[in-house]
Formats: sequence, structure tokens, C-alpha cells
Amino acid sequence: MSDATPGVVGRTQRRLSALSPATGVGVALAVVLLGNAAVQETGLFIDQAIGGLVYGMILVMVSLGLALVLGLMGVVNFAHGALFMLGGYFTFTVMESYGLPFLGALVVAPLLVGVVGIAMEVVVLRRLYGSNPIIGLLATFGLTLMVEEAARFVWGASGLQPSKPGYLTGGTDLVVTQVGTYRLFTVFVSALSVVAVYYLITNTDFGLSVRAGVQDGEMTEFVGVNLPVRFTAMFFLGSVIAGLGGALRVVEFGVDPGTAEEFVILAFVVVVIGGVGSLFGSVVAGLLVGWAQFLVPVVLSSLAVVTGISALEIQGVGRLIPFLVMIVVLLVRPRGLFGEEGLLE
Amino acid sequence: MSADSETPASRVPDTPSAFEQYRIPLGLVVLVLFLRPVVSSDLLLGFEAIANRMLIIMLFVAAFNLLFGFTGLLSFGHAMFFGFGVYVPAIVVLNGLGGLAPGGSVTFFAGVALALLSVGVFSYLLALLIVGKGEIYFALLTLAVSQAIYFIALRDPWGLTGGSNGLTRGTLPEFVEQTRGQITIQAFGASVDWYWVVAVVFLLAMSGLWQVVRSPFGRTLIAIRDNEQLARAMGIDTTRYKVWSLTFSGLLSAMAGVLLEINNSGAAIENLGVLTSGDTVLMAVLGGINYFFGPITGAFTWLFVEDFLTDFEVWHIPTTELAIVSVDLGPALQFWQFFLGALFVVVVLTSPEEGIWGYVRTLGAGVKRRLEER
Repeated sequence: MSDATPGVVGRTQRRLSALSPATGVGVALAVVLLGNAAVQETGLFIDQAIGGLVYGMILVMVSLGLALVLGLMGVVNFAHGALFMLGGYFTFTVMESYGLPFLGALVVAPLLVGVVGIAMEVVVLRRLYGSNPIIGLLATFGLTLMVEEAARFVWGASGLQPSKPGYLTGGTDLVVTQVGTYRLFTVFVSALSVVAVYYLITNTDFGLSVRAGVQDGEMTEFVGVNLPVRFTAMFFLGSVIAGLGGALRVVEFGVDPGTAEEFVILAFVVVVIGGVGSLFGSVVAGLLVGWAQFLVPVVLSSLAVVTGISALEIQGVGRLIPFLVMIVVLLVRPRGLFGEEGLLE
Repeated sequence: MSADSETPASRVPDTPSAFEQYRIPLGLVVLVLFLRPVVSSDLLLGFEAIANRMLIIMLFVAAFNLLFGFTGLLSFGHAMFFGFGVYVPAIVVLNGLGGLAPGGSVTFFAGVALALLSVGVFSYLLALLIVGKGEIYFALLTLAVSQAIYFIALRDPWGLTGGSNGLTRGTLPEFVEQTRGQITIQAFGASVDWYWVVAVVFLLAMSGLWQVVRSPFGRTLIAIRDNEQLARAMGIDTTRYKVWSLTFSGLLSAMAGVLLEINNSGAAIENLGVLTSGDTVLMAVLGGINYFFGPITGAFTWLFVEDFLTDFEVWHIPTTELAIVSVDLGPALQFWQFFLGALFVVVVLTSPEEGIWGYVRTLGAGVKRRLEER
């Protein structure tokens, strides 16, 4: 093509040639493997894909708050999983003890978590801004321990699960398979909240002032922005989404004191894969991790069917996947998929 | 005290006395001699087995602290090295190795050798991959690797690790004898209390650690911790030092793991879990990461409080016999981790490198100064 602005074909060609051969091979391999699984076990594949989507959205909701605090304030907040867990417990209490309907609990519980988040930020995290990230990690680790122990004191050590509201129990018929209505509801609510938060940070004056404060705190305060209040509000926001995630999950899977650690570790994995400082990266990585965890076992088992090697069908490989992905990403591309280079490195 | 402070004028003040020079090994010996009688006295915990566990965990936390306190690398997955030491000998003793029969003494030592070898190779290779990644990434990578190992062990590959049940039967070599919770070691016709075996291994490993810390190698690690760029500018190959620090730390952790394998007569999946790693970090920071005795203090405090407070039911003031006020603290103290967590947060926020031992030292120095002033 001799045009100054190449057409669609030209642009695609250029973009493809810019990719490394390794990436091309990897993508092609993934397409082949996923296609094979989809053809071999269509129903299971779609079930798992939706399961992965639900799980991934929950992960995105936990990671978003973590990524916000890490990217904006530079604090590695280990206590974020504790906020997620509290979302679950508050939902249980609000529904079972105070008899609020599920939708009401979905509003009240995250707000309560937000209040706990504010208390955490004012008492502990505020002292950590600008200090060594390791200190922040340690302090919030101690906080997690306290919240977990408090939860064990209040709600006991065994798992709790509120009853699902009637209108969300059944299944919804998609063409090839049936999906639990509650799962679709989870995806809907979480997608809505993630988009709202994303819009707030990237497209409003509030988000702009916070990002400005991160770049140059002193100058932003000169201009007249009350930065500590903005940061607290940001932390409140992160806590509320984590709480909402916990509230959505508790109805389907229940909650116990171990939830905090399990999810904060996964959220770290997601943020690191997505890239520190990139909210978009966290969203993408959350979905990727969710799907990887649910689809890899299907892919492996259908591959075992095709190749006849039964050793490929590894039981319980799913929970290992996020960590393997994280290790590979950190070794090959330490800043993550969409991260800024040099942050915290 | 006043006699000691009158130093003769002829003494050169710069050369430390033999006591000054060897106070750490002396302190270790004193610790080992007095730990069991003190904690097993009726006023405190009242049973002896806890002392074995305390020494083992102290060794583990001290090994962790070689990496964190002395090199400045925070590992959030140290349980994996510990777990190697727990699992490998247990697996070898249970299944035999090559021509060695299951349960034999030689098999056990082969298992220990295999454990140390594999930990050495594993931690060296892991270190080569990850020490250059920056503090936070190092912490997260160790966490991820240890979680990966945890899930592998949970999956029970080839029926070796026993999955979530761990390994509980047939994991002890012949020379270990267990009667009503008391472990004795039968060797060459003699019978030795398990505590003293742990104590000897503890002393050997800790004096090894002490030698490492005070050697030029250890001083270089401290230099790297304090200012890595300056250390590099002075021509120190910081990556190599960090790699070896992680390897040493992994080896010592695995040694503690081997002791725990006999102590608990088997391997539990919790030994590999994230809580084990987390507790290690907590103990080290609580005790004071800058000091050799910091991790020991931290581990002691943690385990002592754990056992003391969970058995603590009613608090009589002033004593049990002459109680004027009795407060039932049982239900609240069951959740002792809450209070230790709070203490931990306070320590991290105020003086993250000093900890309890740093506080004790400051107190001791203050008392000494007072005495000298008089």
C-alpha cells in the first residue's frame, strides 16, 4: 500500500509484525486448546467459563481497592482481604439478625465495611503514606490478624451463609446450558460497580484531583485540594467495593475467618499480573485469573481425551494456576501486563 | 556492680573483654539451660513439651531473620523451606529410599541429607530468579511460590505427602521412642531426653548463624541492608550475597523443620501454609529484627502468650489464695492473637526495627547508666 494512512489490512499487518513470534505462537496455542475444549465438552466448557467469569468479577472487586490504594498511596494493604471478609459477615448479620432483605443488605453491608475502612485508614494507614512499603505490608498484616481474630470472636470459627432470596435461586436458560440466576446477578452488579468506580477515577474532577495529589502532593495542596480527605474518601471507596464483593460472594459460598487471607493473596496476584498502578490492568488480570482457574482443568482434561495421555488430567490443578501465572509474569515482565515501569521495583 | 564499674586505667577500652566477645553464645547456653525449668514451673505453663517446640521455632525464626533482619529481604513464604525439612525426612522414613528400609535410622539420616540438599539447591535457584526484583515483589513472589508448593502438597502427588491429612504414621525412625508424649532418643545403648538433643542442634545451628552474622560475610549483608546502592558502589556483588543469604536461611529453616518432624512425629499440611509464614514474620518483628536475640525473644513471647493466655481462665488479684478481685478473662483471652496483633501494629508503627528486645536493651542500658551514676 502506498497510502500515507494504511487501511485496516495494512494496520493489522503492521500490528501483527510488531508482535514477537513467541506471543503469536502462545495466542495460537491458547486458541487451539480452548477451541478443542469447547468442541469436546461444550456444556462443561460454558459452565466453567461462566463460573470463571463470576469468580473473576469477585476478584476484580477485591483487587480494585487494593490497586487503588497501592497505585495512589503506595501502601501495600494486606488488610484489604479482611474488608472483603467483613462484607460477607456484615451481610450475614444484617440479613439474619436484623431481617433486612438481600438487596437492602447489599447496600448496608458495604457501607458498614466502608466505615471500618475509614477507621483503619485514619488510625493506621495514614501514618504509612510515603514510608517504606514493607512497613505498610507489615502493619496491615497485623491489622488483618486483628480483624480475623475479632471476627472469630463475634461470629465463631465455622463458616456462615445467609439464605439466598427466592427470586434469585432458580436457573436462567441460555441456549446451550442453564446458568444459576444468582451468578448472572453477581456478574451484573459487579460489572456495574467496577464501571462506576473506573469512571469516577478516570473521568471526574474528584478522580483527577486524587491522581494529581499522587503525582505532586505539595503542589496539589497549594491549589487548594484537601488531600487527606480525598485519600480517606478513596480508601472508603476501595473498602466499599471490597465489601460489596464479599456481600455478593457470601450468599453463594459463605464466609469464614480464612476468607481474608485467601482473597488478599489472590488480589495481590491479580494486581501484580495486571501491573501496579493500572486499574485497567487489574480488571483484565482479575478476569484472566478467574478464567484460568476454571478453564485450565477443562482444557487439560479435553486435551487428555484427544491425546490419550491420561497423565494430563491433573485433579485440583485450578488453585495452583494463579500462582504459576504470577510467577511467570513477574519473571518475564516484572511490571505486569499494563503496569508502569519502575514502580516499587 | 560498683566494683565492676571501676575499670583499671591500664586496660585499653577498645578491646572487648572475653565476656563481651562471647556474650551471644553464653546467652544461648543460658537460654537452653533455663528455658525448660522456667517454662515448666507451675507458676508459668506447667508442662515440659512446650520447651522443645519453643527452641525449634526460635531456630526457624532466627533463620528467617538472617534474611529479613540482616539482609533486608522480607520473605512472606518461609514456610516452604521449613516444610521441606518437615516433609522430606517424613516421606523418606515412611517409604524407604533406594535400598534403605522404611523406618531405619540410616534411612532417616539419608532423608535429612536429602532434605538439606534439596532445600539448598531449591533456595539457591529460587534466589537466583527472584532476589533482584525489589522488596515488595520479593515478598509477593516468595508468597506465591510457597502457596504453589502448598497446593502441590495438598494435592498429594503420587500419594507421597498425604494431602490435607499430612503424614502421621510410620514417620519416626527406630531410635526415637515415644511414651505418653515424652520423646526419648535411644542411641548406642543410652537413652537421652529429646529436649537435650534439640538443645544441642539448636546451639550448633545458632552458633553457626552467629558466626555467619559476625563474619565479613554477615557484615556485608548488614551493609547491603542499610544502603544497597552504597554497598554496590563499594564493589560488593549484592546479588551474590543476597543469594547466599537466602540459601543459608533456607538450610537453617529446613533444619528446624527436621526437628519439628520428630517433635510432632510427622508432617502436617499447616507446616507449609501461609499462616506459618505469617507467624514467622510476626514473631521476628515483634522480637526485634535488628538484634540476634530479637527473633528468639519474639518466638518465646508468641508461643508463651499462646499457651499461657489460652489456659488462663480467671485472674485473681493479687494471688489465687488471697483473691480480693477475680476477673474471668477466659472467653476474651481465647482470642489472644487479637492483642498480639495490636501489639504488633504498635511495634511496626513506632519502631519497626527495635521490637521487644530493643526495648529490653534500652531499659537495661538505662538501668546500667543509673547504677554507674550513683
